[in-house]
Amino acid sequence: MNRLDATHVIVALAGDAPVVASLGHPAYDLFAAGDRPQNLYTWGSMGLASSIGLGLALARPDLRVFVLDGDGSLLMNLGSLATIGLLRPANLTLVVMDNEEYATTGGQQTPTAHGADLEAAARALAIANAATARTEAELRQAVERGMERGAPQMIVAKVAESAPTAKPPLDCVFIKQRFMTAIGNPESATVGRAIW
Amino acid sequence: MADVPVWAAGVCVGVRASGSRDVVYVPDNPLSHVLRSFEREFADVRLLLATREEEAFGIAAGLYLGGRKPTVMLQSSGLGNSLNAITSLLVPYQIPVLIVVSMRGDAGEWNAAQVPMGRSVPAIFEAIGIPHARVESEDEAATSVRAAGETAFATRIAHAVLLPRRVTNMTSRTAV
Repeated sequence: MNRLDATHVIVALAGDAPVVASLGHPAYDLFAAGDRPQNLYTWGSMGLASSIGLGLALARPDLRVFVLDGDGSLLMNLGSLATIGLLRPANLTLVVMDNEEYATTGGQQTPTAHGADLEAAARALAIANAATARTEAELRQAVERGMERGAPQMIVAKVAESAPTAKPPLDCVFIKQRFMTAIGNPESATVGRAIW
Repeated sequence: MADVPVWAAGVCVGVRASGSRDVVYVPDNPLSHVLRSFEREFADVRLLLATREEEAFGIAAGLYLGGRKPTVMLQSSGLGNSLNAITSLLVPYQIPVLIVVSMRGDAGEWNAAQVPMGRSVPAIFEAIGIPHARVESEDEAATSVRAAGETAFATRIAHAVLLPRRVTNMTSRTAV
């Protein structure tokens, strides 16, 4: 399973649900898998995809929120797992695309190439609904099972690096406004109003 | 139950009056009064603990994307932890957050390690284009915080309010 394969699995499971992608290759692959307005591509803030997803899940408990993170990015904000474990939004699915390298910056190995276990980290930080998947079938099954458990889930998708073939739109405000409209809470400044 | 200082009650009133019902925070000593006041008087405001200030801004961004009006409360030392989140998420995406900063390093400071960051806070906010207002007296807290939040959410530019130690010190009058 490479990262684009795994991304296709998640997008298919998401349906109309929002997907937040970490900067760089996870976001590029989310776009390559098929642009949709419910995709929130980040262009910076490395490490914060899971935090953005957490806030969104808390704001919109009626939606299933998917996050596509990277191993290097999650390691930059590991405290996020403790916060997710503390706040426990049942509608959050965090998928870590673990290719054991900083692929966007040239393929330097991350600690997961040397034994760091992000599923174990999630469990240790009170996310019991955690799993590791190595094939597309395992990934699909892990997400589907985890979603039924009424607790935030984290799935480590062990993926091979796949060279991205496209980049998402660059305009951050466009990405945000399109996203907010698509999930049903348009940004107020984008909506006209009667004066009276 | 300890009394709530005037400034702390004012922060709560201002946050709520700006329309914010979600406060993501990393605690410090003065902010404990604000947290206590929220818990006692404003049960409809959700308090969300983060492990680090940068993370708090990420959570706040997600709350905004989901239609909420978020507040982040932090100590000035935490601004250093937050700069990448503010400059590469909040600013380019125009995600407004009401930022309430408990100041260290200003008049009354005893800890030298708090001084370089604390005294740089206004210059840092200037450098990254985040408007910031300083609360000059405890009675101003409510109106300053409300105005900052309303401005942030209307203009979609984060707005900070600085709470100097002179205002947040323990000899303050109490509101209740």
